[in-house]
Amino acid sequence: MSQDLEPVPWGAQDRFQAHYIVKPVGQMVLDELLARTNLTTSGHFATKKVASVEWVGGDLARVLNADDELRNMIVKLSYKDAHIWVEPTKNGVRIHGKWKSSYELQISKELFQVYDRIASHIKRNLGSPPV
Amino acid sequence: MHDSEPDTFPLKSTREQFCELFEKIGINAEPEQIDTDEVEKGDYYSKYFSHSPAMVTNHGCLKIKGTNIDIVQIIQKG
Repeated sequence: MSQDLEPVPWGAQDRFQAHYIVKPVGQMVLDELLARTNLTTSGHFATKKVASVEWVGGDLARVLNADDELRNMIVKLSYKDAHIWVEPTKNGVRIHGKWKSSYELQISKELFQVYDRIASHIKRNLGSPPV
Repeated sequence: MHDSEPDTFPLKSTREQFCELFEKIGINAEPEQIDTDEVEKGDYYSKYFSHSPAMVTNHGCLKIKGTNIDIVQIIQKG
């Protein structure tokens, strides 16, 4: 019996994501709360660093682009952590990064502060006061 | 017999392990019973972005206090 040269991947993979969720108080317009980072980088491979960040998406992207402090915080993150998506779903607005292996799935104080600051803008957009 | 590893070890869920990471950075988090929160019942992705996976596994949620983030959900691909 010969071995299958192209085995079909099956079952859960070693790829994890932590979604940081802000729950809406009332109705929300989903398109307005879409955003993701568009990075400008310098260097290659292991020395690749984030040089600048631009948010693209709905109305929230405009608000996040206006926050210079947030931009400075993201530039200090690693290249992988600087990829951030804001996705509105029916039950909450989700902030998440790239897929990570179980070994890589960590949270640093700096990364959490970035997510918390994005969440404060989302709360303002939803009409509830940030913490 | 002289192995340095203990014979027994406590099994921890992914969300319990993640809770410990939060404690290390000074954030007060507490794991919730799986499949009890509203966010676990709906869609996990907006489907606006092309990277949204077709199948995911829910590993449950953590409740976070004193921050703008209400809840954290751990998701596995596949």
